Amino acid sequence: MTRKRFVTLTLVPAIGLLATLALVSIAGAVWFAVMNRTLRSPDYDFVGAYNFLRLLRDRRFFNALEISAVWEAVTVIGTLALAVVLAVLIFETVKKPLTRNLICFAFLVPVLLPRVAAAFIWRFLYSPSLGVINYLCGLVGIGPVEFLADPSLALISVAVVDIWQWGLFFTVILLKLMETLPRDPIEAAMLDNARTWEIHAYVTLPMLKGPLISLALVKAVESLRSFDLIFVMTGGGPGTATETLDLYAYQMGINMGGRISYASAMSLLLLVVTTVAFTIIWKAGKKWAS
Amino acid sequence: MGKLISATLTRAVLALLIVLALGPILWTVLGAFKELRDIVTPVPKLVFTPTLDNFATILRNPTIRDGLLHSVIVVSAAVLIGAVLGIPAAHTLARHARKWGDDVQFFVLSLRFMPPVAIAIPFIVIYLDLGIYDTLFGLVLVYLIVTVSTVIWLAVPAFERVPRDIEEAAAMEGCGPAEIFWRFSLPVAAPSLFGALVFTFVLVWNELLLALTLAAQNATLPVVAASITSLGKEVPWGVINAATVLLVLPPLVFIGLLMGLLNTMVRSGPK
Repeated sequence: MTRKRFVTLTLVPAIGLLATLALVSIAGAVWFAVMNRTLRSPDYDFVGAYNFLRLLRDRRFFNALEISAVWEAVTVIGTLALAVVLAVLIFETVKKPLTRNLICFAFLVPVLLPRVAAAFIWRFLYSPSLGVINYLCGLVGIGPVEFLADPSLALISVAVVDIWQWGLFFTVILLKLMETLPRDPIEAAMLDNARTWEIHAYVTLPMLKGPLISLALVKAVESLRSFDLIFVMTGGGPGTATETLDLYAYQMGINMGGRISYASAMSLLLLVVTTVAFTIIWKAGKKWAS
Repeated sequence: MGKLISATLTRAVLALLIVLALGPILWTVLGAFKELRDIVTPVPKLVFTPTLDNFATILRNPTIRDGLLHSVIVVSAAVLIGAVLGIPAAHTLARHARKWGDDVQFFVLSLRFMPPVAIAIPFIVIYLDLGIYDTLFGLVLVYLIVTVSTVIWLAVPAFERVPRDIEEAAAMEGCGPAEIFWRFSLPVAAPSLFGALVFTFVLVWNELLLALTLAAQNATLPVVAASITSLGKEVPWGVINAATVLLVLPPLVFIGLLMGLLNTMVRSGPK
């Protein structure tokens, strides 16, 4: 077999399949977005930009947009902040490789949990009547706190679960990365009598700038897939306090009357915004990290 | 003296961290073995008579059993096809594509940026029109987007780490590209590839949104689990806990592998 044929034979089926499926879903979304298709009836007509114009007047859509933005910011920043603090803490206090490995194993467990499972575990803990967290709150005289039913607490309570899963995972990655760093600059800083936090703030973390940017990007992409967690924990409620764009699109397209076209317009907008944003961040991050 | 205090304090903080990481999960596991009256107590109970009733309930429930079966079929088919298509493609991208290889890789990665809703909404109508809505085949087909792209994304670096000398020596001996791939590169890269497949498995095993929208009767375990909120009058927390444990077990088996994958990735230089 010649090289050219091998290349074609290996690449065409895989990339062809991916391109077909991606194209079908994008073309489908564009097609339905300019129609008035619903799940109830198979007939539909061309309506032009009607769905997009209606989006601009939809308060619930802007609410979802805002919640999505808050969700992205809180989970990305929270995850990275927790990971940095814990990685430095463990790096400084645990020197025995065995203990470190044990901690790493424990920290890897949450991220492996299916989102649905993590959501149930925390709903159980948050429960106002029988949850452990409210029991602990009761011991110090607070509560019972309606973590998931209080509009001002619900989003943060769900975000805590996300940060619990990903922050601990990123801690392990950061810790492993810190172990691979050269010792010389750190020792030089120690000779200059730098304090521990100064060494990390000015020496180790700047050396990890590239990986930190990549991790932030990975988390930002991952945070867009928050549907499972929010759907099981609050279903977007109370009211629309935790309704992100994907939840609203799901409610519109499938649950409430199946307005496929309207939901398509929404998901198309989401697709364009995320693709453009991530392409820019990806290219900029690559440049900045190198 | 001060040293002793700070050492104890450190230990306490570390113990607290481990409790924070594992405590919620262990609490759920305990709950899975409790009768409802041991769960609905004002003071959380650590000592109780364990029962297997919750597990018996979920394993006897036909919906949950079907969900488990569907999950196994759909996930293994999607991962297997993903491996067969993705691994050779990744080898070609790592070794034979210089100019346009980066663009193809960026396309593959950009699929990971795609919001799942943007796939789910158009596909539900297309599936209804084609008559493959609520079929296992339809689920496997959409999951291929996830598995093929993830396998390629993770397998390219695995093949890049295979020493070029081995492949060049084989080429000198007159081996064709297919033979080099099959007899030399694949065995060397096998451990990392296995890790990549495990990661892919965990991703689709945990998937909810696509299964929720594209299937009804033939849904997978996460969908079934997400729908048990009321099997009777009261919230059946014991049953929910047992279902959660069932859902959690398969991914957890692979934790050691994930650790190994992390170690090799970090050592070979983060990207």
